[in-house]
Amino acid sequence: MTAHIQGMGWITPLGADLDEVWQRVMNGDLPEARELAGSDADRKHFYVPVPQKLVESLARNPRLRRSSAISYFAAAAGLAALENAGIKMTPEVAAKTAVVFAIASGGVVYTRKFYEQIVKQGANSASPLLFPETVYNAPASHLAALLGVDGASYTLVGDASVGVAALKLAEQLLATTEVEYCVVIGAEEVDWVLCEAYREWRLVTSRPQIEIGSNRGTLLAEGAAALVLGRTGDVALRRIHNGGSFFNRRQAREAISRVHRELDDEVTTIVCSANGTFIDKLESAAIELTRPGVHVLKPKAHFGEALGAGALQQTIAGVLGLARSDADAALISVLGFNQQASGVVITRASR
Amino acid sequence: MSPNRASRDVAIVAAGIISPLGRDCAETIASLRAGHDAVSPVTSFDVSKCRSSTAGQIQDEWLDCFVRTRRQKRLHRASKMMIAAAEELAGQDRDFAPELIVIGTTSGGMTFGESFFRSLIRRENRPERAGWLANYNPQKPVLDAMEAAGFSAPSQIIANACASGTNAIGHAFSLVRSGECDRVLCGGYDAISEMVFVGFDSLQASTSEKIRPFDKARTGLVLGEGAALLALEAFDQAVSRGATILGRVTGYGISTDNFHLTQPHPSGIGPQLAMERALASAGRNAAEVDYINAHGTATAFNDATEGAAIARLFNETKTPVSSTKSMMGHSLGAAGAIEAVISLLALREQFLPPNINFCECDPAFDLNIVANAAREAEMHCALSNSFGFGGTNATIVLETVHRMN
Repeated sequence: MTAHIQGMGWITPLGADLDEVWQRVMNGDLPEARELAGSDADRKHFYVPVPQKLVESLARNPRLRRSSAISYFAAAAGLAALENAGIKMTPEVAAKTAVVFAIASGGVVYTRKFYEQIVKQGANSASPLLFPETVYNAPASHLAALLGVDGASYTLVGDASVGVAALKLAEQLLATTEVEYCVVIGAEEVDWVLCEAYREWRLVTSRPQIEIGSNRGTLLAEGAAALVLGRTGDVALRRIHNGGSFFNRRQAREAISRVHRELDDEVTTIVCSANGTFIDKLESAAIELTRPGVHVLKPKAHFGEALGAGALQQTIAGVLGLARSDADAALISVLGFNQQASGVVITRASR
Repeated sequence: MSPNRASRDVAIVAAGIISPLGRDCAETIASLRAGHDAVSPVTSFDVSKCRSSTAGQIQDEWLDCFVRTRRQKRLHRASKMMIAAAEELAGQDRDFAPELIVIGTTSGGMTFGESFFRSLIRRENRPERAGWLANYNPQKPVLDAMEAAGFSAPSQIIANACASGTNAIGHAFSLVRSGECDRVLCGGYDAISEMVFVGFDSLQASTSEKIRPFDKARTGLVLGEGAALLALEAFDQAVSRGATILGRVTGYGISTDNFHLTQPHPSGIGPQLAMERALASAGRNAAEVDYINAHGTATAFNDATEGAAIARLFNETKTPVSSTKSMMGHSLGAAGAIEAVISLLALREQFLPPNINFCECDPAFDLNIVANAAREAEMHCALSNSFGFGGTNATIVLETVHRMN
């Protein structure tokens, strides 16, 4: 069973319109980094926000009234993808629709706020309004409620490869159940404590821009991406790799090389996950080994590192690239920080 | 194009468990038979400002048994739990090599995240910080268990709140049954943390008293922790390689109840749909179910809705029901996996695990509760329920090897 893409939507630092954002990527536009500091932190960080106006229209939705930014991003991207697919969510359609969510950090803003209340004010002062939004599947739950989905809803957690795992799970649902549509979404928000953690790991840069290949670190980003998958469509997810686990960076090098070898389709473009960290070198070595000279697109230079949303943003970039070229196939290459290497081959369905 | 209609029997060829009820399957059986109350006072963080002060906790000494290297000592207790469960499972079937690993969890190594945050706001530059962060992610305990047990496979980590473990097993079952995979390792884990403990306390969902699922006088849940794993394999392949077959997974149902982020729909429609879909998936009817391991958190809302749904579906049969959370608390993402293993052990040993601390059934639903003591019973088919925040509901059906279609 091959899953096909029927619709796409994204929320990125460069905008939310598919064509407009693609054009900005082609123009080489870079995201505007913003400074972020916690009241308890000595260090300031840079991160990449998405323009608030992109999700303002959702602010009056009763289901989202107490939710964190991540749920707004997810809802905006999911609804845009369904609109792009021309799918109107009636109860009949909802009954045949599944939600698969990809996440790495989740509702980190409310999580930090809730725990901060515990530490600073005492357990008896911690707000019951915050806690439910800290749960990983809160954004998926909000989206399922907005869409009226009463069947399968899965939230997957992991590193930046989790978006590919979500595509795989959606493919499995289409292969093994009566589901007709899978809305696959990845979303992330950013908090200062997350920046502190990635700084401690030496994975984020102290500068306001990502320098691919520099190994100075990445910029964490807000954002979301959504794909509506079905059994037919113009673009096929020809092969979705199950993923190759690794326990250290030496194994990460082997894992990404193996993924590139195993996804041995002929492709004209690779949409890679280079983000200014150690990943750039390992992924670049895998490309040199298997497909030297192939055209490589590096969307994270334009969107920042949106972790759970990253691989899906890469996939959308790959689809837009296919649509605007003579190319038949592209490889979406994904190497996460600490779990898996993975990849997807997308092709025109007619191939 | 239509979905894969292949429908293979799915064997359970190995199981591993660690919970407050025991370090392995044998200890768990003994505790279940004895109706052991494994809930104890929380000492790992300050609970003086909480309503609840108890939880089902795994003793540190138990976890230390599984630590062999200096590196393993630095792991989060969630990793140690997963290593314990994985080693027991691997010891039962040395030839089982999973193609995929599907694990449920809700909070990964949360206490390490808490330590990191505390060190930040105290401006302490602790040398442990890098280690805390490296072991905080939900994927880390899964990778640690794989490494310890010698497994190498891609992983899917499901975070569907308290239904995560059942969703993981259910999804793994679907993959094997349909022929998408031949062998999948699945289960769940979660370790107690201050943040989650206070979270349930803030919602006034936890109790200062004993946990009394389905009791008229129930006052809420207590948290627990643990890990449990099942090795699923296409039945025919397991037979042909001479594997010992412990039981089967035969059905899976999932539903999403969009009523509220933390409260189920009062009608119980979410649990009812999950159970109906699981029975349909197994090709069974209510009369063929011998035991229901209920989600049974002992909160007012959960038990009212689950109780109503069970009463509606099993009205004629009065199928025995128990919530084994009464003995060990609610282990969140691990709960579904632990309760699946408990149901499997009950099927193999032919007894009904008890629902302890039980006095009088809530008159809102008429259930046949396995009250306070385990009972011997002829059993072939068990249902295991898990429901979670976000309105996620999941049910699996487990059966003995003997009752094949």
